Amino acid sequence: MSQHQVQAPELHGPTQRTTAALARFVDTTPSICPERAMLITESYKETEALPMVLRRAKALEKILAGMPIFIQDGELIVGNQASKPRSAPIFPEFSCKWVEAELDRLANRTADVFLISEETKAKLRQAFAYWDGKTTNEFAAAMMPPQALEAHNDVVYTVGNYFYNGVGHISVDYDKAISQGLSSVIAAARQALEALDYADAEQLKKRHFLEAVIIANQAVIDFAGRFATLASSMAADCADPIRRDELTEIARICRKVPAQPAETFHEAVQAFWFVHLVIQIESNGHSISPMRFDQYMEPYHARDKGRVLPEKAQELLDLLWIKFAELNKVRDENSTMAFAGYPMFMNLIVGGQKRDGSDATNDLSFMCLQAAANTKLYAPSLSIRIHEGTPAALYKKAGEISRLGMGYPAYYNDRVIIPALLARGLTREDARDYGIIGCVEPQVGGKTEGWHDAAFFNMGKVMELALNDGVDKRTGKQIGPKSGSLETFKTFDDVMASYKAQTAYFVRLMAAADNAVDMAHAIRCPLPFLSSLVDDCIAAGKSLQEGGAHYNFTGPQGVGVANAGDCLTAIKKLVFDDRLLTLAELRQALDSDFEGREDLRQMLLNRAPKYGNDDDYADAVAKEAARIYCEEVNRYVNPRGGRFQPGLYPASANVPLGSVVAATPDGRKAWSPLADGVSPISGCDTCGPTASVLSVAKLDHEIASNGTLLNQKFHPTALEGDQGLNNLKAVTETYFQNGGFHVQYNVISRETLLEAQAQPEAYKNLVVRVAGYSAFFTALDKSLQDDIIARTEQTF
Amino acid sequence: MNWKQRQHTFRLSDRDRPGPTGLVFDIQRFAVHDGGGIRTLVFLKGCPLRCQWCQNPESMFPGPEILRIPHNCISCVKCMTLCPQQAICYDGGGEIGIDRVRCDLCGDCVTSCYAGSMTIVGRYLTAGEVMEEVDRDRKFYAESGGGVTFSGGEPTAQPDFLLSCLRAAKARGLHTAVETCGHSPWETLAALRDVVDLFLCDIKHMDTARHRELTGMPNERILDNIARLSQAGSAVRLRLPLVPGANDSEANIVASAQFAAGLPTLEGFDILPYHRLGEAKWRQLGRVYPMHDVAPHTREDVLAKACLAGQHVGGVGIGG
Ligand code: SF4
Ligand code: SF4
Repeated sequence: MSQHQVQAPELHGPTQRTTAALARFVDTTPSICPERAMLITESYKETEALPMVLRRAKALEKILAGMPIFIQDGELIVGNQASKPRSAPIFPEFSCKWVEAELDRLANRTADVFLISEETKAKLRQAFAYWDGKTTNEFAAAMMPPQALEAHNDVVYTVGNYFYNGVGHISVDYDKAISQGLSSVIAAARQALEALDYADAEQLKKRHFLEAVIIANQAVIDFAGRFATLASSMAADCADPIRRDELTEIARICRKVPAQPAETFHEAVQAFWFVHLVIQIESNGHSISPMRFDQYMEPYHARDKGRVLPEKAQELLDLLWIKFAELNKVRDENSTMAFAGYPMFMNLIVGGQKRDGSDATNDLSFMCLQAAANTKLYAPSLSIRIHEGTPAALYKKAGEISRLGMGYPAYYNDRVIIPALLARGLTREDARDYGIIGCVEPQVGGKTEGWHDAAFFNMGKVMELALNDGVDKRTGKQIGPKSGSLETFKTFDDVMASYKAQTAYFVRLMAAADNAVDMAHAIRCPLPFLSSLVDDCIAAGKSLQEGGAHYNFTGPQGVGVANAGDCLTAIKKLVFDDRLLTLAELRQALDSDFEGREDLRQMLLNRAPKYGNDDDYADAVAKEAARIYCEEVNRYVNPRGGRFQPGLYPASANVPLGSVVAATPDGRKAWSPLADGVSPISGCDTCGPTASVLSVAKLDHEIASNGTLLNQKFHPTALEGDQGLNNLKAVTETYFQNGGFHVQYNVISRETLLEAQAQPEAYKNLVVRVAGYSAFFTALDKSLQDDIIARTEQTF
Repeated sequence: MNWKQRQHTFRLSDRDRPGPTGLVFDIQRFAVHDGGGIRTLVFLKGCPLRCQWCQNPESMFPGPEILRIPHNCISCVKCMTLCPQQAICYDGGGEIGIDRVRCDLCGDCVTSCYAGSMTIVGRYLTAGEVMEEVDRDRKFYAESGGGVTFSGGEPTAQPDFLLSCLRAAKARGLHTAVETCGHSPWETLAALRDVVDLFLCDIKHMDTARHRELTGMPNERILDNIARLSQAGSAVRLRLPLVPGANDSEANIVASAQFAAGLPTLEGFDILPYHRLGEAKWRQLGRVYPMHDVAPHTREDVLAKACLAGQHVGGVGIGG
């Protein structure tokens, strides 16, 4: 492939308008907006007689017609999610008990603070009164087998994300919405409706869904119309002639898109934004991902070339990036520990291959990277696909952005991901067209309901149970099968068998828990607007939640691969190979959390080989530990007719999941964090980044087709100059040639982080990568800050 | 057994294995400032110079030696109980002390110290064992234009071993570099020329009397060797460890740069700013650091000196 032919276009820094918008953004503290909660409650009261999917459409219609809208100074792309910038709406239909319980703490909790007025609290309390017993959460809990709910409560796994929230984790057919307009979606639904034979019960069922699609899409068009009207009236009152023209242009565009096909780049960006925004308003899921933005937007950008100054096009992108960051979501205090930093996980990916296998890089690929540099925000999550034909110029630009220390772009390996998706039944063209959802989860956009973040599976806890005959040390309860303990094991095979038995038992319960939540969403919260932009929902006449998508999956993540691996390695090596330690001594040391047995802890830490050092002994065991989890997950099927597929990534759940796990034979003290993703345990990868990535590449990343995550941290001096960029590329390339899936780089010094921790005010805008997404460092909880600081700094 | 695992035990008898062995004190992967690209750095133990600022004091003595890292110690006193020579005991201050005269380097304390506090620096390895470690990162060398660099200590002080390692590296098609202080017989360096792609040569001072004060040796042979290597056609990078008060005078910087400019095959002139990261190791080896009171240059100072050098020679870089 002709790598050298692609050149970077001329790139531009932030304009004054962008800089002003950024300053305004950083100075805005997020708040809570009661409007959506009030409107949906009113709507639900009015529609109790209707089928659920129609109630959802009517509710969306009411919200979009009634919510406050505004256009900020200097904005060119318009559309707000709630009553103020960065304010978060509330979604009582999913769950609201926790919001009610935490209302008074939202403004003074340790991470992800939201301002909230007494008036808002009162309005919300009033709305919540309606929802008792009506939420998806309560329905899912009722459907869940008691053992499955108990294991969730004991944090052997957590299905919390979709148990309490919307699902999100999707990418719709933005291309269709932008290039054909929502009118065409309405037309398609009408046509399908007309073809129905109501005498056939199966077809009769489809009617409500198709009607809901029409209502929802018309509601979005009317929503854009409200902005057109607002812009017109603001233009009429505007004294500044330049701004007046801009407002007039905004009004024109909002009258045209997203109803009609977009033609200019500005129209396309605005159409994109309305679609993306309304999906957020319809459901409260996160990880709603633009995915291959450079691909579906390039035609408009190319068409405008020569007519629109390149700095103007860049400015539109930069402003869109700020709009992304303005989207917000409030989470309960515990989830905030796992998802800290106001993340929305909106993954936008550039480069890679086209559907025909050729290189997809274009000018917008570069401009998206530039937008990240210009705005230095945590959203969207920027990613890049790497394949054999990735142009050197794009690699270089990506390296330059990596070096800024914001943690993105994240790099994804076409050589592993495409075959992994083929193995999951995607066509070759669809597999080549993959993008990334949320942290690291691959799917083809516009035709997949991937349920990617189905659960976090606590591999550390399972290890504890495997060594303790299924008894939870924290509570003393027998929660797993009696699979043997340190007192009864005779051989290392006994240990492995016990780990396997516990894994199998809890993966099975997790599948039951996930499926219960899945069905609850289908029954209580079908999403007509979202569904209308995903194939084959309209053709199938059913919502995404009921299985309308072309591809269906459920993806739960294993967290703590390195811990499980290193625990097993330590036992294998020190107890059975070297006989330095007896199982009884180990038992006693673990039971006392190494109190008085620091020497044994040091032995476990230093004498057993560790995953992450290119040590074949340790790496083989870690690989096996991961494989056992993955193969168990592969067994199950979801209610939408799709398969379960495993991932190995943590968001930042490795901290809360670790907090319930007693001392482990990897030398880890009780209740401390687990390792993140497929990364080695903090401080245990002592042979440098090359050894670290070679170790990680030895895992089978293809089987973990819901994504794996490797965090690699560099000291800035390791990446200085062109040579540094070259070295970064060499690390990425070698990791990928050896079968790695994803890697992201943190290029920040430990000193900087410590200082930021001490003086948060001075580092308000320091962005770090937290296991799959970037966040403002100072917005993170202290324990997570500590965890990031502790991650091995790879220097030499 | 990989390099990391080798640190858990020590056997003096390794030196007497058949075939040439060399004394290695460290092998570091992902070195990015020592010869281009991503490299593995192999440190050979033993050095003819005694630079006062040495940041690798464990590299000087040409034999294994005890190095104790107090902050790793968990005070389990196992080492004390186990030492057959009773060479370990509490010193006056309640700290663990080592009687380096009594110690016969049996290695028992290393094996028993799980915390990695009691260590012996230096392992006798064959060239094959070194290459096993070096081979691990071959893909990274190929992707980045890196390779293997032999450093020290003074690698040419173990000429046979060094030559076997370099031959093995060349047989694998690796890019090779040798970092040398230049204080070795010309014949030794000449013999390496065929298997070394790049010589990284340190110069400490251009004035031989001052050189002797600072390092214990005069500089004539060093400068002569560097010039001959270059004239014979070997690629050379010169490196000046910039030490406050020792060799950072304007005159010395200019003289060093001019010397560099006269080398026909010069690839670059690196200024390595002085730092104190090695100071603790002097103590851990039971020695006194001679430059305890010297403060490092500021960034601006280093930049100014680099500019000065740049007026006399091309390719000036900072760092290493
Ligand atoms: S064996 Fe190691 S940890 Fe124990 S007292 Fe000796 S030096 Fe300290
Ligand atoms: S190496 Fe020296 S100090 Fe250590 S046990 Fe042997 S004799 Fe004692």
